[in-house]
Amino acid sequence: MPDYEPKFLALCCNWCSYAGADLAGVSRVQMPPGFRVIRVMCSSRVKPEWIIRALMSGLDGVLVLGCHPGDCHYQTGNYYARRRMAITKRFLEYMGVEPQRVQLSWVSASEGQKFAQVITEVTKDIKGIGPNRLFTDESQRNGKETAP
Amino acid sequence: MNHKEMEKKLRREARALLEQGKVGYIIGFEAGSLKFTTTPLITSDTGDISRLVVNPFIANNLSVYLAGVKGRVGIVVKGCDSRSIVSLLQDNKIAREDIVILGVPCSGLIDLGKVEELVGKERDELDDIARDGDRVVVTDNGNNSEFPIHEVLYDNCLGCEFPTPQEYDILLGEPTLPAGDRYQAVSLMKIKQLKDMPAQQRWEFWRNEFDRCIRCYACRNICPACFCQRCFVEESEPQWLLPVPRWQDNLMFQVIRNIHVAGRCTDCGGCERACPVNIPLRSLTREMYGIIAELFHYKPGMDKDTAPFLAAYEATDTEDFVR
Repeated sequence: MPDYEPKFLALCCNWCSYAGADLAGVSRVQMPPGFRVIRVMCSSRVKPEWIIRALMSGLDGVLVLGCHPGDCHYQTGNYYARRRMAITKRFLEYMGVEPQRVQLSWVSASEGQKFAQVITEVTKDIKGIGPNRLFTDESQRNGKETAP
Repeated sequence: MNHKEMEKKLRREARALLEQGKVGYIIGFEAGSLKFTTTPLITSDTGDISRLVVNPFIANNLSVYLAGVKGRVGIVVKGCDSRSIVSLLQDNKIAREDIVILGVPCSGLIDLGKVEELVGKERDELDDIARDGDRVVVTDNGNNSEFPIHEVLYDNCLGCEFPTPQEYDILLGEPTLPAGDRYQAVSLMKIKQLKDMPAQQRWEFWRNEFDRCIRCYACRNICPACFCQRCFVEESEPQWLLPVPRWQDNLMFQVIRNIHVAGRCTDCGGCERACPVNIPLRSLTREMYGIIAELFHYKPGMDKDTAPFLAAYEATDTEDFVR
């Protein structure tokens, strides 16, 4: 699949990463277009349910973005998110989900460049492992591809 | 102290608690309707006290009933169950002064399934199964056969780190020493086999296991850590999963359940025993237990004064996985 473009979620926190994404946009930094941004008030707002639901719906990955540790708008939100994501990621890995599909990163409001860089890296990671077929049934897997 | 003496002491203490009005109810075990099995007994009647038992088959984690029984209760717990109680205390689900904990220093539970397989007979055909030090003696038609405990105890009991209750008011016997690392390898064998597989094969394994799941929610209902008033599986707005037992939804249910009980699950093995289609659920719960121990050096249910695992953080928590 040479022209395969991964489609993944970027869950951005309102105070840092979303502004960072915005900065990347207005600065016209080039990055792969496969990601879809959902703005959340804090990275700790992200429920593990969302991540698994996204994978179940056929998205190729989920990237959670928050403020750098110590810079959280709510003082400590990203620390809780970090703990939750650590166990979610490790546990899914144990189940057999490729670790590249679930990622966490810190992007501040002034890091437009870093936002683009993280998106590029995650896109490359997911390209390396191919489309998400985890939740497709055997019959669908061999037949024609189903759009998520 | 052997089980018979503990049983005597339990009956004496339980009777005194009820008669002195220190508790309104006793939650314990009585003999089940099937041979060797036990079933929970919840009673306020001193006449029922003689039905209480202590033996190597007291499998259920009774702390699951604490939230449902009003007033002060006396409860019989093993090491793992006591940690569930501590974990409920951490979550402010129960008040310490409302419960009187009757601790059983546990020497491991006997897995009747393993015994049946070793002896090649149904449990009804056996006369007696008794623990004797590091061996288990099975009597069948007057013939004794002996098995080392690592062949007949539950996997989680073999790896048990805290067989003596962590929190108790009355201890019914001498504290039991943990077996240490002696049986750890046997206890974690299934998990190791899974970890040795490539990721894709592992996913296939779980996919096949959850194909069998009938979504009876026995694993959730038996679990003292699953205390939500409204479980996410029953939410309809948003509807996280279909009520239809498709493998995809079954698998998602179990992944989320494991994340929800992370830091509360004490590896009591109740979910796996409750599963009617024998899905190796402990291979999931124990792995989560292991991840938390490895990454955060946290053991669930050890200290009732600390914050619950997912409601706390350290600034120095692991960052290795962050991109």
